[in-house]
Amino acid sequence: MALLPRFRMLVHRRQFDRDLEEEMRLHLDLQKQQQIVEGLSADDARTAAQRQFGNTTLLQEECRDAYGWQWLEEFARDLRYAARSMLRTPGFTAVAIVALALGIGANAALFSVVNAVLLRPLAYRDAGRLVTILHNGRNPVAPANYVDWRAQSNSFTDMGAAEFWTPNLTRDDPPEHIRGLRLTQGMLPLVGVEPLLGRWFEPGEDRKGSEHVVILSYRLWQRRFAGDPNILLRSLILDGEAYQVVGVMPRDFQFAPFWATRTELWAPLPLADRIQSRDGNSLRVFGRLKPEVGLGQARAEMAALTARLEREHPGTNRQVMVTPLKENVVGKVETPLLLLLGAVGFVLLIACANVAHMLLARAATRQKETAVRAALGARHGRLFRQFLTESAFLGACGGIAGLALAVAGTRALIALSPARIPRVETVTIDTDVLLFLLGTTVLTCLAFGLAPAMQAARLDITSGLKDAALGSSDGAGRGRARKFLVASEFALAVVLLVGAGLMVRSFFALQAIDPGFNPHHVLSLIVSVAGSKEAGPDRRAIFYRQLVDRVRTLPGVESAAAINHLPLAGDLWTRGLTIEGRPEPRPGEEPDAVYRVITPGYFHAMRLPLLRGRDFTGNDDTRAPGVVIINDRAAKAYWPGEDPVGKHVSLRSRTQREWLTIIGIATDAAEADWAARAVPEIYLATFQNRDYLADRGAYITLVARTAGDPAALTSVVKNVVWSFDPNLPISEIVTMDGVISEANAEPRFEMLLLSVFAAVALVLAAVGIYGVMSYSVSRRTHEIGIRMSLGGTRTQVLWMVVRQGMWLALAGSAAGIGGALALSRLMTGVLYGVRPTDPLTFSAVAIGLAAVALVATYIPARRATRIDPMSALRYE
Amino acid sequence: MPKDEIPPGTLYMLILKTLVRHGEMHGYEIARAIEQLSEEVLHVEEGSLYPALQRMLVKGWVEAYWGVTAGNRRARYYLPTKLGRKQLEIEVRQYQRVGAAIARVLGTA
Repeated sequence: MALLPRFRMLVHRRQFDRDLEEEMRLHLDLQKQQQIVEGLSADDARTAAQRQFGNTTLLQEECRDAYGWQWLEEFARDLRYAARSMLRTPGFTAVAIVALALGIGANAALFSVVNAVLLRPLAYRDAGRLVTILHNGRNPVAPANYVDWRAQSNSFTDMGAAEFWTPNLTRDDPPEHIRGLRLTQGMLPLVGVEPLLGRWFEPGEDRKGSEHVVILSYRLWQRRFAGDPNILLRSLILDGEAYQVVGVMPRDFQFAPFWATRTELWAPLPLADRIQSRDGNSLRVFGRLKPEVGLGQARAEMAALTARLEREHPGTNRQVMVTPLKENVVGKVETPLLLLLGAVGFVLLIACANVAHMLLARAATRQKETAVRAALGARHGRLFRQFLTESAFLGACGGIAGLALAVAGTRALIALSPARIPRVETVTIDTDVLLFLLGTTVLTCLAFGLAPAMQAARLDITSGLKDAALGSSDGAGRGRARKFLVASEFALAVVLLVGAGLMVRSFFALQAIDPGFNPHHVLSLIVSVAGSKEAGPDRRAIFYRQLVDRVRTLPGVESAAAINHLPLAGDLWTRGLTIEGRPEPRPGEEPDAVYRVITPGYFHAMRLPLLRGRDFTGNDDTRAPGVVIINDRAAKAYWPGEDPVGKHVSLRSRTQREWLTIIGIATDAAEADWAARAVPEIYLATFQNRDYLADRGAYITLVARTAGDPAALTSVVKNVVWSFDPNLPISEIVTMDGVISEANAEPRFEMLLLSVFAAVALVLAAVGIYGVMSYSVSRRTHEIGIRMSLGGTRTQVLWMVVRQGMWLALAGSAAGIGGALALSRLMTGVLYGVRPTDPLTFSAVAIGLAAVALVATYIPARRATRIDPMSALRYE
Repeated sequence: MPKDEIPPGTLYMLILKTLVRHGEMHGYEIARAIEQLSEEVLHVEEGSLYPALQRMLVKGWVEAYWGVTAGNRRARYYLPTKLGRKQLEIEVRQYQRVGAAIARVLGTA
């Protein structure tokens, strides 16, 4: 049908009606004249003409119908009507819109996070084919293994490797310790993101001597060089050597995606003589599957390849796993995020149930109106549509408010989210989220709007008119639906509350963990000496000693020491051990330990008690015999039933064997994961360790125990460092409390969100049961009046109403506990120190919810007892 | 005297035919013309005429413009479009076919 005239009519509706009227008038007048000519009197002619003409309104309507806009007119009418009736009950409308907005907004906000973190592909070319090849799926690989795999495998178009590198950027102000990566030449082409400026590394640039080129991240380019367009002409001094800038990556480029995520520059990785090395696992290996090769095939090939290499070089090729890159990036947060999404879905369900039973109650009070309309000829479909329009109107308002809430909620989520959630910086409200919001809103409208609309349309006119007129108690069917909805609200609320309760218990269990040391009042920062005049091996020991001494004597500092990697925050290095006098262990059973390099006084500064033996002293230096301190776990694991003090161990190495004497046993301290069980650990003396003092990327982590707020001493400590050399970069300034809080950020985040969802659920459920009971009391005023006038006591009435409400709440809660028992198993992976069926949580939730339900039913019940029998009987 | 209603489905055809024969006309003229041409047998209900005219406007079979009558009144004049003439042919053919068929049925009765 021609669209243009139809739209023209829609736009000029008034004109259209006026034109029609004029046309009719002319017709009537001409007809009248005609009839006068035919011999009728003027009056008779007019009546005759009019009679013949019939109903002008109907005619006009039919003319308008020609343009096919009836549906729109009806819709507009329904919408106007809906808006009017919503405004007539502002309280109801506000509660419903708030409930919907909370449900929809929270869902959209969480979906925006899930979408960005879990669903969107990684921002690399054909990212689905990228895999990591690592020990146990996450631990680094030795250079010779990488070289062998790359040369001997057939499943990959290419392999690349990356190594952690934190150079000092000097001669630009201020000096800075920068997070970087060294990459094999093919690594960037492998992920396939083109530089914004310049080029990738060229073949040969990862050869020793040619590696002095660097590619900057967009952030570093902006931050340190103000986006200098001539950056490619510049060179940087990194660890004291000049590097030519050859490229800048685009703004949103991130590599590596699952570790070293905040990398700001990349340089080539010259493997050089390390190409033969099967010690020193330091490479993260990446591969791109050939188009025709599946993951299973690549895994099978690598399994065979590493098994052969393991036979050739025992102990070097174990547990090598091919993992999709994305799994490595999001694997850890997948369960918690999906759990939260499920929880927030429950909140929306509760909101739907709430609005649905409120609408049902409203539909019941409007029974008479509906019956009258039906009696006057409104078709069932028409009534159905009108009620659905009202629901849609409500839903649209809820959706719009929900969008506003989602925008705010997404911001809050990003701000609250622990830094460890990958890709959280890419969270936005994009088309996906908007579509999700739209879909949720439509589904929500259907969920809460369908039942009342159907009930309205099905209404039997006669009984409807009678029922309403009598003000009788509820018709049975409608009441049942509403009760069912309230009971399910309680069931859903129980599930959410149990989930939140378990998270809270788990969080407190985490808080109760003893890290082995006292984390309060400890300031820590990293000082890097690489490339400075303090870097020389002889100079370095002196500098470290003087630095720690100077910091220790600062006012407000109780004690100070230094360590290579701070527990929980820093890196975790593991070395194999050889124990004197033991037979060569079988492959796979070599003892190993986390090793940390500390200055004397570290145990004192951290308040990490020594269980036996002595601490290092200033005399344990390169001239003195080698000594080592082990932790309790190592003592129990490797010297069961023996006293390890005085025994000898050696760090496993192919080149030399130097026996170190164990001089002490320290309490187990937290390592990398807060909740992980203690692992064997050995402490070496900084001033005795030639490797550590000669290491090229040299830095030290200073720890100072302070009398007051540790953060307040930051600038004083920095000035002490710079009084030695103003070119020394200082980084990672943290308090130990902050480190622990960061380590627990993820469970805290999950607990917080789940608690908020549960609280919303509880409020909605309480409002729900309160609403149903108040409504039921108001509907039964007449009945209660009769009961009381027949001698029913107030207590009896109170008991009757409370019993009815509590029955609903308890039935719902019982169903909810069943559901929670089934669902809480899904939480096993995110809980610590509490079983998913924890009886305390379950009973606390059940009792708490019963109490809330009691209050919510008691208020309307008391109102029922105040009913005056006389006025109640006259009611309506 | 009672007049016969127009058989369902033939109103468009009658209107189009009238307009094709007389050129532009306003609503009352169309109604009168049909009545007169049918020698007062057929009677056009206004309640059907005007909605039909609007539908024909939407379908593009007729065009309308506002003009002035002999009695100096504003009136909406309708005139057939090319599409309308084609539609008339179709409807006439169809009517003749159906009419002939009905006649045959009645003839054999």
